Amino acid sequence: MTATTIEFTVNGVSQQVTVPDDELLLDVLRRRLGYTSVREGCGVGACGACTVLVDGKSTSTCLALAVRADGADITTAEGLPPGDPVIGSFVEAGALQCGYCIPGFVMMATELLSENPRPTPEDISEHLEGNICRCGTYLEIRAAILAAARRKAVTEA
Amino acid sequence: MRKEKRVTDVPEPAPGGAEGASGAEGAGGAAGAVGQRWTRADAEAKVRGTFRYTADEPVGRVCYVGLQRASRPHARIVTVDTEAARAVPGVAAVLTGADLYRALGDRLLCGPAFGDQPALAYDKVRYAGEPVAAVLAWDLATARAAADEVYVEYEDLEPIHDVDEAAAGGPFVHAELRPSAVFGDLAHLSGRRETNVNYEYNLRKGDVDAETAGAATTVRGEFWSPPTHHVPIELPCTTAWPAGDRLEVLSATQTPSYVRQAVAELLDLRLNQVRVRSRPLGGSFGSKMYDRFEPLVAALAWLLRMPVRMEATREDAFLVTTRHGVAVTGHMSADADGNIVAAAADVRYDTGAYADIGPRIAAKSGMVACGPYRMAAARVRSRCVYTNKPSAGPYRGFGVPQVTFSHETLVDELARARGEDPAAYRRSHLLREGDTAAMGTVMHSADFVGCLDAATAAIGWDTPLRREEGPWRWGRGVAVGMKAVLTPTVSNAVLQLNQDATATLLISTVDMGQGSDTIMAQLAAEVLCLGPGQVRVVAADTDVTPYDTITAGSRSTYHTGNAVRLAAERMRDRLVFLGAERLGVTATDCKLTAEGVTSSSEQRSIGLPELIHGHFGARGTTLTTEASYTTQWVPYDHETGQSPRVTEHWFAGAVAVELGVDTRTGRIRMRHVALAADVGRAINPTMVEQQLIGSAIMGTGQALFDYIVFAEGQMINGTLLDYQLPSIKDLPDKITPIIIESPHRTGPFGAKGVGETVLIPFAPAVANAVREAVGVRITSLPLTPERVLAAIRENANGGTAA
Repeated sequence: MTATTIEFTVNGVSQQVTVPDDELLLDVLRRRLGYTSVREGCGVGACGACTVLVDGKSTSTCLALAVRADGADITTAEGLPPGDPVIGSFVEAGALQCGYCIPGFVMMATELLSENPRPTPEDISEHLEGNICRCGTYLEIRAAILAAARRKAVTEA
Repeated sequence: MRKEKRVTDVPEPAPGGAEGASGAEGAGGAAGAVGQRWTRADAEAKVRGTFRYTADEPVGRVCYVGLQRASRPHARIVTVDTEAARAVPGVAAVLTGADLYRALGDRLLCGPAFGDQPALAYDKVRYAGEPVAAVLAWDLATARAAADEVYVEYEDLEPIHDVDEAAAGGPFVHAELRPSAVFGDLAHLSGRRETNVNYEYNLRKGDVDAETAGAATTVRGEFWSPPTHHVPIELPCTTAWPAGDRLEVLSATQTPSYVRQAVAELLDLRLNQVRVRSRPLGGSFGSKMYDRFEPLVAALAWLLRMPVRMEATREDAFLVTTRHGVAVTGHMSADADGNIVAAAADVRYDTGAYADIGPRIAAKSGMVACGPYRMAAARVRSRCVYTNKPSAGPYRGFGVPQVTFSHETLVDELARARGEDPAAYRRSHLLREGDTAAMGTVMHSADFVGCLDAATAAIGWDTPLRREEGPWRWGRGVAVGMKAVLTPTVSNAVLQLNQDATATLLISTVDMGQGSDTIMAQLAAEVLCLGPGQVRVVAADTDVTPYDTITAGSRSTYHTGNAVRLAAERMRDRLVFLGAERLGVTATDCKLTAEGVTSSSEQRSIGLPELIHGHFGARGTTLTTEASYTTQWVPYDHETGQSPRVTEHWFAGAVAVELGVDTRTGRIRMRHVALAADVGRAINPTMVEQQLIGSAIMGTGQALFDYIVFAEGQMINGTLLDYQLPSIKDLPDKITPIIIESPHRTGPFGAKGVGETVLIPFAPAVANAVREAVGVRITSLPLTPERVLAAIRENANGGTAA
């Protein structure tokens, strides 16, 4: 197995790592760099718990090879700024139970609101279809995203 | 305690949301803590992903485990060739089941009800996927890859897959029964041979055959609830390392106290040589309890004197435990006036290759298998049966959802056969306060009627329904559920009040999303007049937090909650005594308020920081109190299942559903589900509502599509590519959670648990609504489009649906 040295930024911090070509982005972010919000739930891209934004696009890191992230700008839930409307709305709406899947939903919501600042409940369901919350917090999550959209609109106005 | 019954109909969720079911209005001490919607402990850290779950705790350098698993369901192990695996660069050790058995002997056989499960198979394998050898490497990928280099030679044995064939005879999964020491009443089964039935529970009341023969109406059914899986999103993770003459274990478990006991017995250590820590879990639903990966990892770490870590994949997690597939044959009879004169259930739990807690499930579910109704005669035979499948264990509801599917179908059909409304018929015959249930226990604080009425009213049961719209047929259904809380059990709490009037609560209850860290804080805060954030709960650590039976079976709010309440009351009494001393008045003149200890006669107060500072003469000091809460039962009679006190309390709930069936495709669309649960008293209404709504969403999967498929003993859909779980697009159009408060006389502030209450009757409510909508009775779950469509077509052809 060959190894490659790659450079990318995570939450604004540049990183350089040398990885085997088959190492997953999930393992680089979680095991090497300590981003605990990035979680393996299924290993097959079916639950969304490992979701991060790679150049603004939601990515299942359990299916992404780290070498492909060379030069990328990666955002994890830890990297959202203080006062981030999505984080704040999730907390205020009580949009969590065990909390394990929630950072993945937060990243999907962040992507959605950057593409569609005024999503309908149906838009939210379409966008979040690939994320599983086994505690069943979907209603609160949807309410939180609607609230975050309102909050963002006020802040940006 | 309040005596009145209260029905709290929460604000209806706005379209596309549930604003009413959330909210963050924390209240200060003056407003009281119980009944307030405090936000969860650690909410922002969990949302942001910085909260540390078990796998995130720093543990230093560890050796990872890779498992070689059995490729067949039933076979004798002839040889295990580990040479190639040992030769893989980076491999530190390879151990087989035989190696562990040589070192530990019969202590290797673990399990909560039966000591029948080795951490690694050593003589034969009993299910496809059973671990046979463990490969340890300092790198996870190496450990997993090298595990494939272990070669096992098997001599195939005839497997047994079907629960009824297994109940009837051989081949036998185990040579003899080995009940564990945990439950004394299983001892008589020890050494029994030539059987796959490891436990049989019997309930006898009256003469069922005579009553049935004389009945005016009898309905019968054969029911099947398939095996399913919990699938919490957090995967199992267990790490253990020797520390001198001690073993440290860090594991994602709901049962740290049990694991300490089990690991100590496994390794022949004293209890204080084993430390078990857990962290709040990323969900569990029964999957992370009793013996999972802990015996294996503890044995490897102790024998090899190395730090060892098992990080499960989703495929590993599917194989470690499942929910029982259950077959029920039942009937129910009424006399000419409609009184239920007899009910019977023959229940077969497919527990797979290892009993786990299956025998307990067979008994606890068997005792309610005839339903929450007044009846003259009842008969239940509930058996727990070995087959060559992965072991089945506890899963939200503890076997009761499967028998509820049977009794709630039968009572529905009985009402229909009599031409009565299914809700009204249930209302006439449900157990009420003071009634004696079929197993001989008098009912208290189980408001089935209140739940039934609230749930049906919420969906407009008595309002007109447009039954046909194009290919769609619409109908409404209802079901009621009944479950006994685990009894007897033990909970303890240690409360430290810090000098600055904050408190630290030491309990072994594990928060896994149900919100126990917040609930327990609210209970202590209520007694001590503290506010949000002033009481913190310490994560379970058997070196620090006291014994607690388990965090399961919806028992924590009542049991641990009572221990917390008692510890807080002792603290309050102590503060009042100290305050009276300082104020120079009698203790009876004083009470604890948000201002501190207040004298009524002198209209003076002393704040807690000043009081505790003065008492010790130092800052940062702590006052400590502790309390224990234990419950007792009268064990049921072995022949009749009868007990005057079979449980500490009951869970009562009802689900009502309005749905449509697309007659072209068999697809079901749920337009409205209402869930009513008698919780005694809602300590935190938001968290109660989340349990109700969460149950509806999990129940949607169990009712409509969620099941494990086995073919010749192989689990063929044990990945999340193949195993379907409810997503945000599977939600019912509208979900109404309803809190019924019928205070329990000994609950903390009247409270009981709620984690399972409305999951129990969910699937039968859906099936009953389908019956109403399209006139077919389906008695096998889940109600997939294929199954519904086949039943509709069979019905149209004049056949009988099944």
